[in-house]
Amino acid sequence: MFDDRTRRAEAQIGIGLRAPHVDELSATRPALDFLEVHAENYMDFGPAFTRLMYIRRDFMLSLHGVGLSLGSAEGLDRDHLGRFRDLIDRVQPFLVSEHLSWSVVDGAYLNDLLPLPYTEESLAIVTRNVAAAQDGLGRSLLVENPSRYLRFRDSRIPEAEFLAELVRRTGCGILCDVNNLYVNAHNVGEDPILYLETLPADAIGEIHLAGHARCDIDERTLLIDDHGAAICDEVWTLFGAALNRFGAVPSLIERDKNLPALADLVAEASIARSIHVLAA
Amino acid sequence: MSSLLEIQRDFRRAILAGDTTALAAFIEVEGIAAAERIEIHRNNARMSLSAALAETFPVVCRLVDARFFAFAAHEFICGLPPDTPCVAGYGARFADFLADFPPCRELVYLADVARLEWVLQRAGAAADGTPLDPASLGGLAAADAERLTFRFQPSFGYLCSPWPIIEIWRANQSEVTARAPVNLESGGALLEVRRRDGVVEFRELAPATFAFRAALDGGTALGDAIEAVAGVEGEFDVNAECAALFIEGAIAGFNLVGSA
Repeated sequence: MFDDRTRRAEAQIGIGLRAPHVDELSATRPALDFLEVHAENYMDFGPAFTRLMYIRRDFMLSLHGVGLSLGSAEGLDRDHLGRFRDLIDRVQPFLVSEHLSWSVVDGAYLNDLLPLPYTEESLAIVTRNVAAAQDGLGRSLLVENPSRYLRFRDSRIPEAEFLAELVRRTGCGILCDVNNLYVNAHNVGEDPILYLETLPADAIGEIHLAGHARCDIDERTLLIDDHGAAICDEVWTLFGAALNRFGAVPSLIERDKNLPALADLVAEASIARSIHVLAA
Repeated sequence: MSSLLEIQRDFRRAILAGDTTALAAFIEVEGIAAAERIEIHRNNARMSLSAALAETFPVVCRLVDARFFAFAAHEFICGLPPDTPCVAGYGARFADFLADFPPCRELVYLADVARLEWVLQRAGAAADGTPLDPASLGGLAAADAERLTFRFQPSFGYLCSPWPIIEIWRANQSEVTARAPVNLESGGALLEVRRRDGVVEFRELAPATFAFRAALDGGTALGDAIEAVAGVEGEFDVNAECAALFIEGAIAGFNLVGSA
Protein backbone atom coordinates (compact mmCIF):
# COMPACT_ATOMS: atom_id res chain seq x y z
CA MET A 1 0.00 0.00 0.00
CA PHE A 2 2.85 2.39 0.72
CA ASP A 3 5.35 3.50 -1.85
CA ASP A 4 8.48 2.66 0.02
CA ARG A 5 8.33 0.33 2.98
CA THR A 6 12.04 0.47 3.69
CA ARG A 7 12.07 4.22 4.06
CA ARG A 8 8.89 4.07 6.13
CA ALA A 9 10.71 1.80 8.55
CA GLU A 10 13.50 4.39 8.89
CA ALA A 11 11.08 7.23 9.54
CA GLN A 12 9.82 6.96 13.07
CA ILE A 13 9.54 10.33 14.78
CA GLY A 14 9.20 13.74 13.18
CA ILE A 15 8.01 17.28 13.77
CA GLY A 16 6.19 19.79 11.61
CA LEU A 17 8.68 22.13 9.92
CA ARG A 18 7.88 25.78 10.59
CA ALA A 19 9.74 28.70 9.01
CA PRO A 20 11.33 30.13 12.22
CA HIS A 21 13.06 26.78 12.86
CA VAL A 22 14.50 26.18 9.39
CA ASP A 23 17.97 27.65 9.95
CA GLU A 24 18.42 26.04 13.36
CA LEU A 25 17.33 22.64 12.03
CA SER A 26 19.87 22.86 9.22
CA ALA A 27 22.62 23.97 11.58
CA THR A 28 22.01 21.58 14.48
CA ARG A 29 20.39 18.54 12.81
CA PRO A 30 18.62 17.30 15.96
CA ALA A 31 17.65 13.66 16.40
CA LEU A 32 14.55 13.60 14.23
CA ASP A 33 13.78 11.05 11.53
CA PHE A 34 11.58 13.23 9.36
CA LEU A 35 9.99 16.64 8.90
CA GLU A 36 6.50 17.36 7.65
CA VAL A 37 5.44 20.49 5.76
CA HIS A 38 2.15 21.93 4.59
CA ALA A 39 2.26 21.36 0.85
CA GLU A 40 0.46 24.61 -0.03
CA ASN A 41 3.25 26.72 1.51
CA TYR A 42 5.73 25.60 -1.17
CA MET A 43 3.72 25.71 -4.38
CA ASP A 44 5.22 29.04 -5.54
CA PHE A 45 8.50 27.13 -5.93
CA GLY A 46 10.23 30.30 -4.67
CA PRO A 47 12.77 30.84 -1.87
CA ALA A 48 10.81 28.78 0.69
CA PHE A 49 10.89 25.84 -1.71
CA THR A 50 14.64 26.31 -2.27
CA ARG A 51 15.22 26.17 1.50
CA LEU A 52 13.05 23.05 1.71
CA MET A 53 15.15 21.31 -0.93
CA TYR A 54 18.25 22.26 1.06
CA ILE A 55 16.87 20.80 4.28
CA ARG A 56 15.80 17.70 2.37
CA ARG A 57 19.45 16.69 2.21
CA ASP A 58 19.40 16.04 5.98
CA PHE A 59 15.84 14.89 6.70
CA MET A 60 13.20 12.76 5.04
CA LEU A 61 10.11 14.80 4.21
CA SER A 62 6.40 14.18 4.24
CA LEU A 63 3.88 16.46 2.55
CA HIS A 64 0.66 17.30 4.38
CA GLY A 65 -1.96 18.96 2.18
CA VAL A 66 -4.66 21.23 3.55
CA GLY A 67 -6.32 22.35 0.33
CA LEU A 68 -7.31 19.39 -1.84
CA SER A 69 -10.79 19.46 -0.31
CA LEU A 70 -11.42 15.72 -0.61
CA GLY A 71 -15.01 16.19 0.58
CA SER A 72 -16.12 18.80 -1.97
CA ALA A 73 -19.33 17.83 -3.73
CA GLU A 74 -18.12 19.70 -6.81
CA GLY A 75 -15.00 17.51 -7.14
CA LEU A 76 -11.34 18.47 -7.07
CA ASP A 77 -9.62 21.61 -8.38
CA ARG A 78 -7.54 20.27 -11.29
CA ASP A 79 -5.10 23.19 -11.21
CA HIS A 80 -4.39 22.61 -7.55
CA LEU A 81 -3.98 18.88 -8.10
CA GLY A 82 -1.44 19.69 -10.84
CA ARG A 83 0.55 21.97 -8.51
CA PHE A 84 0.51 19.27 -5.84
CA ARG A 85 1.79 16.72 -8.36
CA ASP A 86 4.63 19.05 -9.39
CA LEU A 87 5.61 19.47 -5.74
CA ILE A 88 5.56 15.72 -5.11
CA ASP A 89 7.68 15.09 -8.22
CA ARG A 90 10.34 17.51 -7.01
CA VAL A 91 10.30 16.80 -3.26
CA GLN A 92 9.84 13.00 -3.49
CA PRO A 93 8.23 12.78 -0.04
CA PHE A 94 7.96 9.40 1.69
CA LEU A 95 4.36 10.18 2.74
CA VAL A 96 1.60 12.39 1.33
CA SER A 97 -1.48 13.10 3.41
CA GLU A 98 -4.73 15.08 3.34
CA HIS A 99 -7.89 15.39 5.41
CA LEU A 100 -11.35 13.86 5.61
CA SER A 101 -12.92 17.29 5.24
CA TRP A 102 -13.76 19.93 2.66
CA SER A 103 -12.99 23.62 2.12
CA VAL A 104 -14.11 24.49 -1.42
CA VAL A 105 -17.63 25.19 -2.66
CA ASP A 106 -18.52 26.99 -5.89
CA GLY A 107 -14.81 27.71 -6.35
CA ALA A 108 -14.45 29.63 -3.05
CA TYR A 109 -11.73 28.35 -0.72
CA LEU A 110 -12.95 28.76 2.87
CA ASN A 111 -9.57 28.08 4.57
CA ASP A 112 -10.76 25.70 7.25
CA LEU A 113 -11.06 21.92 7.42
CA LEU A 114 -14.85 21.78 7.34
CA PRO A 115 -16.82 18.75 8.51
CA LEU A 116 -18.81 16.30 6.41
CA PRO A 117 -22.03 14.50 7.26
CA TYR A 118 -21.14 10.81 7.22
CA THR A 119 -23.71 9.55 4.74
CA GLU A 120 -23.67 7.19 1.76
CA GLU A 121 -23.71 10.25 -0.50
CA SER A 122 -20.63 11.74 1.22
CA LEU A 123 -18.87 8.37 1.07
CA ALA A 124 -19.47 8.17 -2.69
CA ILE A 125 -18.19 11.72 -3.18
CA VAL A 126 -15.09 11.29 -1.01
CA THR A 127 -14.36 7.94 -2.67
CA ARG A 128 -14.52 9.57 -6.11
CA ASN A 129 -12.31 12.47 -5.01
CA VAL A 130 -9.70 10.31 -3.24
CA ALA A 131 -9.51 8.05 -6.30
CA ALA A 132 -9.10 11.11 -8.56
CA ALA A 133 -6.45 12.58 -6.23
CA GLN A 134 -4.46 9.33 -6.14
CA ASP A 135 -4.68 9.10 -9.95
CA GLY A 136 -3.65 12.74 -10.36
CA LEU A 137 -0.82 12.55 -7.82
CA GLY A 138 0.39 9.19 -9.04
CA ARG A 139 0.58 7.68 -5.56
CA SER A 140 -1.45 6.64 -2.54
CA LEU A 141 -2.69 9.20 -0.02
CA LEU A 142 -3.09 9.03 3.72
CA VAL A 143 -6.43 10.53 4.80
CA GLU A 144 -6.56 12.13 8.26
CA ASN A 145 -9.45 12.02 10.71
CA PRO A 146 -10.48 15.65 11.29
CA SER A 147 -11.13 17.57 14.50
CA ARG A 148 -14.86 18.18 14.91
CA TYR A 149 -16.98 20.77 16.67
CA LEU A 150 -20.43 19.66 15.50
CA ARG A 151 -22.39 16.59 14.39
CA PHE A 152 -24.77 16.51 11.46
CA ARG A 153 -28.21 15.07 12.19
CA ASP A 154 -28.00 12.90 9.06
CA SER A 155 -24.61 11.38 9.91
CA ARG A 156 -25.44 7.69 10.09
CA ILE A 157 -22.01 6.14 9.54
CA PRO A 158 -19.52 6.26 12.43
CA GLU A 159 -16.43 8.17 11.27
CA ALA A 160 -14.03 5.24 11.80
CA GLU A 161 -16.30 2.98 9.69
CA PHE A 162 -16.49 5.71 7.05
CA LEU A 163 -12.68 5.77 6.87
CA ALA A 164 -12.42 1.98 6.86
CA GLU A 165 -14.83 1.82 3.91
CA LEU A 166 -12.88 4.57 2.13
CA VAL A 167 -9.74 2.43 2.50
CA ARG A 168 -11.57 -0.60 1.06
CA ARG A 169 -12.88 1.39 -1.92
CA THR A 170 -9.80 3.43 -2.83
CA GLY A 171 -6.75 1.68 -1.36
CA CYS A 172 -5.80 4.88 0.47
CA GLY A 173 -4.13 4.79 3.87
CA ILE A 174 -5.09 6.57 7.09
CA LEU A 175 -3.33 9.24 9.10
CA CYS A 176 -4.65 8.85 12.65
CA ASP A 177 -4.52 12.11 14.62
CA VAL A 178 -4.83 11.10 18.28
CA ASN A 179 -5.30 14.69 19.48
CA ASN A 180 -8.33 14.90 17.17
CA LEU A 181 -9.66 11.70 18.76
CA TYR A 182 -9.34 13.33 22.19
CA VAL A 183 -10.86 16.63 21.06
CA ASN A 184 -13.74 14.84 19.32
CA ALA A 185 -14.44 12.67 22.36
CA HIS A 186 -15.04 15.88 24.27
CA ASN A 187 -16.80 17.89 21.56
CA VAL A 188 -19.06 15.31 19.90
CA GLY A 189 -18.92 12.29 22.20
CA GLU A 190 -16.80 10.01 20.00
CA ASP A 191 -15.33 6.99 21.89
CA PRO A 192 -11.60 7.08 21.05
CA ILE A 193 -10.86 3.48 22.04
CA LEU A 194 -13.76 2.10 19.97
CA TYR A 195 -12.55 4.37 17.16
CA LEU A 196 -9.02 2.92 17.29
CA GLU A 197 -10.45 -0.61 17.31
CA THR A 198 -12.62 0.12 14.26
CA LEU A 199 -9.88 1.55 12.05
CA PRO A 200 -8.16 -1.06 9.83
CA ALA A 201 -4.75 -1.41 11.54
CA ASP A 202 -2.80 -2.26 8.39
CA ALA A 203 -3.96 0.94 6.65
CA ILE A 204 -2.48 3.30 9.24
CA GLY A 205 0.51 5.07 7.70
CA GLU A 206 1.12 7.85 10.22
CA ILE A 207 0.06 9.23 13.60
CA HIS A 208 -0.24 12.93 14.45
CA LEU A 209 0.15 14.36 17.94
CA ALA A 210 -0.64 17.92 18.99
CA GLY A 211 -1.97 20.15 21.73
CA HIS A 212 -5.29 21.99 21.83
CA ALA A 213 -7.04 24.95 23.45
CA ARG A 214 -10.22 25.26 25.55
CA CYS A 215 -13.05 27.55 24.53
CA ASP A 216 -15.86 28.19 27.03
CA ILE A 217 -19.33 28.64 25.52
CA ASP A 218 -22.64 28.76 27.44
CA GLU A 219 -21.04 27.16 30.54
CA ARG A 220 -19.83 24.31 28.34
CA THR A 221 -16.39 23.85 26.85
CA LEU A 222 -15.30 23.00 23.35
CA LEU A 223 -11.73 21.85 22.77
CA ILE A 224 -10.15 23.62 19.81
CA ASP A 225 -7.53 21.77 17.76
CA ASP A 226 -5.26 24.79 17.38
CA HIS A 227 -1.88 23.01 17.60
CA GLY A 228 -0.96 25.75 20.05
CA ALA A 229 0.09 23.93 23.23
CA ALA A 230 2.14 21.04 24.57
CA ILE A 231 0.64 17.56 24.18
CA CYS A 232 -1.51 16.64 27.20
CA ASP A 233 -1.18 13.43 29.25
CA GLU A 234 -4.44 11.96 27.93
CA VAL A 235 -3.24 12.33 24.33
CA TRP A 236 0.07 10.64 25.19
CA THR A 237 -1.97 7.76 26.65
CA LEU A 238 -4.05 7.54 23.48
CA PHE A 239 -0.82 7.57 21.48
CA GLY A 240 0.33 4.47 23.38
CA ALA A 241 -3.01 2.77 22.71
CA ALA A 242 -2.79 3.64 19.01
CA LEU A 243 0.75 2.26 18.73
CA ASN A 244 -0.30 -0.94 20.50
CA ARG A 245 -2.97 -1.45 17.89
CA PHE A 246 -1.21 -0.15 14.75
CA GLY A 247 2.44 -0.96 15.43
CA ALA A 248 5.33 1.50 15.26
CA VAL A 249 4.10 3.75 12.44
CA PRO A 250 5.76 7.12 11.70
CA SER A 251 4.59 9.64 14.29
CA LEU A 252 4.64 13.42 14.13
CA ILE A 253 4.47 16.34 16.58
CA GLU A 254 2.45 19.21 15.07
CA ARG A 255 2.73 22.76 16.33
CA ASP A 256 1.39 25.86 14.56
CA LYS A 257 0.46 28.46 17.18
CA ASN A 258 2.56 29.69 20.13
CA LEU A 259 5.57 28.18 18.41
CA PRO A 260 8.12 27.24 21.11
CA ALA A 261 11.88 26.92 20.79
CA LEU A 262 12.95 24.08 18.52
CA ALA A 263 14.49 22.35 21.56
CA ASP A 264 11.02 22.09 23.17
CA LEU A 265 9.61 20.33 20.12
CA VAL A 266 12.63 18.03 19.96
CA ALA A 267 12.02 17.21 23.64
CA GLU A 268 8.40 16.28 22.84
CA ALA A 269 9.69 14.17 19.97
CA SER A 270 11.93 12.35 22.46
CA ILE A 271 8.91 11.52 24.61
CA ALA A 272 7.16 10.22 21.51
CA ARG A 273 10.20 8.12 20.68
CA SER A 274 10.29 6.57 24.16
CA ILE A 275 6.65 5.48 23.77
CA HIS A 276 7.28 4.45 20.17
CA VAL A 277 10.13 2.04 20.94
CA LEU A 278 7.83 0.03 23.21
CA ALA A 279 5.59 -0.69 20.22
CA ALA A 280 8.42 -1.48 17.78
CA MET B 1 -29.09 18.92 -6.45
CA SER B 2 -26.78 16.92 -4.24
CA SER B 3 -27.73 17.36 -0.60
CA LEU B 4 -24.02 17.58 0.30
CA LEU B 5 -23.65 20.44 -2.16
CA GLU B 6 -26.61 22.13 -0.51
CA ILE B 7 -25.01 21.77 2.94
CA GLN B 8 -21.69 23.10 1.61
CA ARG B 9 -23.41 26.14 0.13
CA ASP B 10 -25.18 26.72 3.45
CA PHE B 11 -21.79 26.46 5.16
CA ARG B 12 -20.40 29.09 2.78
CA ARG B 13 -23.28 31.43 3.62
CA ALA B 14 -22.67 30.85 7.34
CA ILE B 15 -18.93 31.59 7.10
CA LEU B 16 -18.98 34.48 4.64
CA ALA B 17 -22.34 36.10 5.28
CA GLY B 18 -22.89 35.12 8.92
CA ASP B 19 -26.25 33.54 8.05
CA THR B 20 -26.32 30.26 10.00
CA THR B 21 -30.08 29.61 9.83
CA ALA B 22 -30.12 27.09 6.97
CA LEU B 23 -26.99 25.24 8.14
CA ALA B 24 -28.10 25.06 11.78
CA ALA B 25 -31.11 22.96 10.75
CA PHE B 26 -28.69 20.14 9.77
CA ILE B 27 -26.77 20.15 13.08
CA GLU B 28 -27.37 18.43 16.42
CA VAL B 29 -27.64 20.86 19.35
CA GLU B 30 -26.08 18.73 22.17
CA GLY B 31 -25.74 21.35 24.91
CA ILE B 32 -24.19 24.07 22.75
CA ALA B 33 -26.26 25.91 20.14
CA ALA B 34 -25.55 24.97 16.53
CA ALA B 35 -24.72 28.60 15.75
CA GLU B 36 -22.00 28.57 18.43
CA ARG B 37 -20.51 25.40 16.98
CA ILE B 38 -20.58 26.85 13.46
CA GLU B 39 -18.90 29.96 14.86
CA ILE B 40 -15.73 27.92 15.59
CA HIS B 41 -15.35 27.22 11.86
CA ARG B 42 -16.39 30.74 10.89
CA ASN B 43 -13.75 32.13 13.22
CA ASN B 44 -11.04 29.74 11.96
CA ALA B 45 -11.69 30.66 8.33
CA ARG B 46 -11.97 34.42 8.76
CA MET B 47 -9.16 34.86 11.28
CA SER B 48 -6.69 32.81 9.24
CA LEU B 49 -7.50 34.70 6.02
CA SER B 50 -7.40 38.04 7.81
CA ALA B 51 -3.98 37.08 9.23
CA ALA B 52 -2.76 36.15 5.73
CA LEU B 53 -3.83 39.59 4.45
CA ALA B 54 -2.20 41.37 7.41
CA GLU B 55 1.04 39.55 6.65
CA THR B 56 1.00 40.67 3.01
CA PHE B 57 -0.19 44.24 3.72
CA PRO B 58 1.55 45.32 6.98
CA VAL B 59 1.92 48.96 5.92
CA VAL B 60 -1.76 49.28 4.96
CA CYS B 61 -2.52 47.75 8.37
CA ARG B 62 -0.33 50.36 10.07
CA LEU B 63 -1.83 53.21 8.06
CA VAL B 64 -5.44 52.40 8.97
CA ASP B 65 -4.75 50.74 12.38
CA ALA B 66 -5.24 47.08 13.13
CA ARG B 67 -8.93 47.28 14.09
CA PHE B 68 -9.98 49.06 10.93
CA PHE B 69 -7.79 46.69 8.90
CA ALA B 70 -9.60 43.70 10.45
CA PHE B 71 -12.93 45.29 9.45
CA ALA B 72 -11.77 45.96 5.88
CA ALA B 73 -10.24 42.48 5.61
CA HIS B 74 -13.50 40.95 6.82
CA GLU B 75 -15.49 42.82 4.16
CA PHE B 76 -12.99 41.81 1.49
CA ILE B 77 -12.96 38.13 2.54
CA CYS B 78 -16.76 37.96 2.53
CA GLY B 79 -17.02 39.51 -0.92
CA LEU B 80 -13.95 38.04 -2.59
CA PRO B 81 -12.91 34.82 -0.83
CA PRO B 82 -9.77 33.06 -2.10
CA ASP B 83 -10.09 30.86 -5.16
CA THR B 84 -7.00 28.80 -4.31
CA PRO B 85 -5.70 27.11 -1.15
CA CYS B 86 -2.30 28.79 -1.50
CA VAL B 87 -3.39 31.60 0.82
CA ALA B 88 0.02 33.31 1.05
CA GLY B 89 -0.91 34.48 -2.46
CA TYR B 90 -4.35 35.74 -1.38
CA GLY B 91 -5.04 39.43 -1.89
CA ALA B 92 -4.47 40.14 -5.60
CA ARG B 93 -7.66 42.21 -5.61
CA PHE B 94 -7.31 43.78 -2.16
CA ALA B 95 -5.92 47.06 -3.56
CA ASP B 96 -8.84 47.42 -6.00
CA PHE B 97 -11.21 46.63 -3.14
CA LEU B 98 -9.66 49.38 -0.97
CA ALA B 99 -9.88 51.86 -3.87
CA ASP B 100 -13.66 51.36 -3.95
CA PHE B 101 -14.19 50.95 -0.18
CA PRO B 102 -16.13 54.04 0.93
CA PRO B 103 -14.63 54.28 4.47
CA CYS B 104 -11.14 54.61 2.89
CA ARG B 105 -12.08 57.28 0.38
CA GLU B 106 -10.11 60.04 2.10
CA LEU B 107 -6.91 57.96 2.13
CA VAL B 108 -6.35 58.57 -1.57
CA TYR B 109 -2.93 56.85 -1.59
CA LEU B 110 -4.00 53.72 0.34
CA ALA B 111 -4.85 51.53 -2.67
CA ASP B 112 -1.50 52.32 -4.32
CA VAL B 113 0.38 51.44 -1.11
CA ALA B 114 -1.53 48.15 -1.15
CA ARG B 115 -0.50 47.63 -4.80
CA LEU B 116 3.13 48.17 -3.79
CA GLU B 117 2.87 45.67 -0.94
CA TRP B 118 1.25 43.14 -3.24
CA VAL B 119 4.03 43.43 -5.83
CA LEU B 120 6.64 43.18 -3.06
CA GLN B 121 4.98 40.06 -1.64
CA ARG B 122 4.83 38.40 -5.06
CA ALA B 123 8.45 39.31 -5.76
CA GLY B 124 9.48 37.70 -2.47
CA ALA B 125 7.63 34.46 -3.14
CA ALA B 126 8.26 34.09 -6.88
CA ALA B 127 10.19 31.19 -8.33
CA ASP B 128 13.76 31.77 -9.41
CA GLY B 129 14.03 31.84 -13.18
CA THR B 130 17.00 31.42 -15.48
CA PRO B 131 17.78 34.66 -17.36
CA LEU B 132 17.42 34.29 -21.09
CA ASP B 133 20.70 34.28 -23.02
CA PRO B 134 20.38 37.06 -25.62
CA ALA B 135 22.16 34.75 -28.08
CA SER B 136 18.89 32.80 -28.26
CA LEU B 137 17.47 35.71 -30.27
CA GLY B 138 20.30 35.39 -32.79
CA GLY B 139 18.29 33.46 -35.36
CA LEU B 140 15.58 36.11 -35.64
CA ALA B 141 15.18 38.12 -38.83
CA ALA B 142 15.50 41.86 -38.17
CA ALA B 143 12.05 42.36 -39.67
CA ASP B 144 10.56 40.13 -36.97
CA ALA B 145 11.96 42.17 -34.05
CA GLU B 146 8.89 44.37 -33.72
CA ARG B 147 6.72 41.27 -33.24
CA LEU B 148 8.75 40.11 -30.22
CA THR B 149 7.04 39.75 -26.87
CA PHE B 150 9.00 39.04 -23.70
CA ARG B 151 8.24 36.99 -20.63
CA PHE B 152 9.78 38.66 -17.58
CA GLN B 153 11.31 36.83 -14.62
CA PRO B 154 8.53 35.98 -12.13
CA SER B 155 9.86 38.34 -9.44
CA PHE B 156 9.70 41.45 -11.67
CA GLY B 157 6.81 43.86 -11.27
CA TYR B 158 5.97 47.42 -12.32
CA LEU B 159 3.68 49.97 -10.78
CA CYS B 160 3.08 53.68 -11.03
CA SER B 161 1.30 56.00 -8.64
CA PRO B 162 0.59 59.74 -8.50
CA TRP B 163 1.39 59.54 -4.75
CA PRO B 164 4.76 59.31 -2.97
CA ILE B 165 4.15 55.66 -2.03
CA ILE B 166 7.82 54.88 -1.40
CA GLU B 167 8.07 57.61 1.24
CA ILE B 168 4.80 56.46 2.79
CA TRP B 169 5.98 52.86 2.75
CA ARG B 170 9.34 53.73 4.33
CA ALA B 171 7.77 55.93 7.02
CA ASN B 172 5.48 53.08 8.07
CA GLN B 173 7.91 50.22 8.50
CA SER B 174 7.53 48.49 11.85
CA GLU B 175 10.99 49.60 13.03
CA VAL B 176 10.13 53.28 12.45
CA THR B 177 8.89 54.66 15.76
CA ALA B 178 8.63 58.40 15.02
CA ARG B 179 6.71 58.88 11.82
CA ALA B 180 7.62 62.08 9.99
CA PRO B 181 4.73 63.49 7.97
CA VAL B 182 4.89 62.72 4.25
CA ASN B 183 4.07 65.56 1.85
CA LEU B 184 1.45 64.08 -0.48
CA GLU B 185 2.29 66.72 -3.08
CA SER B 186 5.93 65.59 -3.26
CA GLY B 187 5.41 63.60 -6.45
CA GLY B 188 4.47 60.11 -7.62
CA ALA B 189 6.46 57.00 -8.32
CA LEU B 190 7.35 54.87 -11.36
CA LEU B 191 8.68 51.68 -9.84
CA GLU B 192 10.34 48.45 -10.81
CA VAL B 193 10.34 45.71 -8.17
CA ARG B 194 12.44 42.56 -8.33
CA ARG B 195 14.22 40.03 -6.15
CA ARG B 196 18.00 39.91 -6.48
CA ASP B 197 20.19 37.49 -4.49
CA GLY B 198 17.27 36.67 -2.24
CA VAL B 199 16.45 40.30 -1.43
CA VAL B 200 13.39 42.15 -2.76
CA GLU B 201 14.33 45.60 -3.98
CA PHE B 202 12.66 48.41 -5.85
CA ARG B 203 13.91 51.39 -7.78
CA GLU B 204 12.46 54.39 -9.56
CA LEU B 205 12.68 54.40 -13.35
CA ALA B 206 12.79 57.31 -15.78
CA PRO B 207 9.36 57.85 -17.38
CA ALA B 208 10.31 56.47 -20.81
CA THR B 209 12.08 53.43 -19.38
CA PHE B 210 9.09 52.74 -17.13
CA ALA B 211 6.62 53.04 -20.02
CA PHE B 212 8.73 50.70 -22.13
CA ARG B 213 9.28 48.01 -19.51
CA ALA B 214 5.74 48.11 -18.14
CA ALA B 215 4.36 47.76 -21.68
CA LEU B 216 6.62 44.77 -22.41
CA ASP B 217 5.85 43.19 -19.02
CA GLY B 218 2.16 43.56 -19.87
CA GLY B 219 2.67 41.51 -23.04
CA THR B 220 2.87 44.37 -25.55
CA ALA B 221 4.98 43.52 -28.61
CA LEU B 222 8.33 45.32 -28.97
CA GLY B 223 7.21 47.47 -31.91
CA ASP B 224 4.12 48.70 -30.05
CA ALA B 225 6.10 49.25 -26.83
CA ILE B 226 8.53 51.50 -28.71
CA GLU B 227 5.60 53.43 -30.15
CA ALA B 228 4.08 53.80 -26.69
CA VAL B 229 7.29 55.43 -25.48
CA ALA B 230 7.29 58.00 -28.31
CA GLY B 231 4.95 60.37 -26.47
CA VAL B 232 6.77 60.09 -23.13
CA GLU B 233 9.15 62.80 -21.93
CA GLY B 234 12.92 62.26 -21.84
CA GLU B 235 15.49 60.61 -24.07
CA PHE B 236 15.11 56.99 -25.05
CA ASP B 237 17.71 54.79 -26.75
CA VAL B 238 15.94 51.62 -27.85
CA ASN B 239 19.08 49.53 -28.34
CA ALA B 240 20.50 50.48 -24.94
CA GLU B 241 17.13 49.87 -23.24
CA CYS B 242 16.80 46.42 -24.80
CA ALA B 243 20.38 45.51 -23.86
CA ALA B 244 19.76 46.66 -20.28
CA LEU B 245 16.83 44.24 -19.93
CA PHE B 246 19.14 41.33 -20.71
CA ILE B 247 22.10 42.64 -18.70
CA GLU B 248 19.84 43.02 -15.66
CA GLY B 249 18.50 39.49 -16.10
CA ALA B 250 14.91 40.64 -16.47
CA ILE B 251 13.94 38.44 -19.39
CA ALA B 252 12.98 34.78 -19.00
CA GLY B 253 11.70 34.03 -22.50
CA PHE B 254 10.31 35.43 -25.71
CA ASN B 255 7.69 34.77 -28.33
CA LEU B 256 6.71 36.19 -31.71
CA VAL B 257 3.21 37.67 -31.98
CA GLY B 258 1.29 35.99 -34.73
CA SER B 259 3.44 32.85 -34.68
CA ALA B 260 2.55 29.54 -33.11
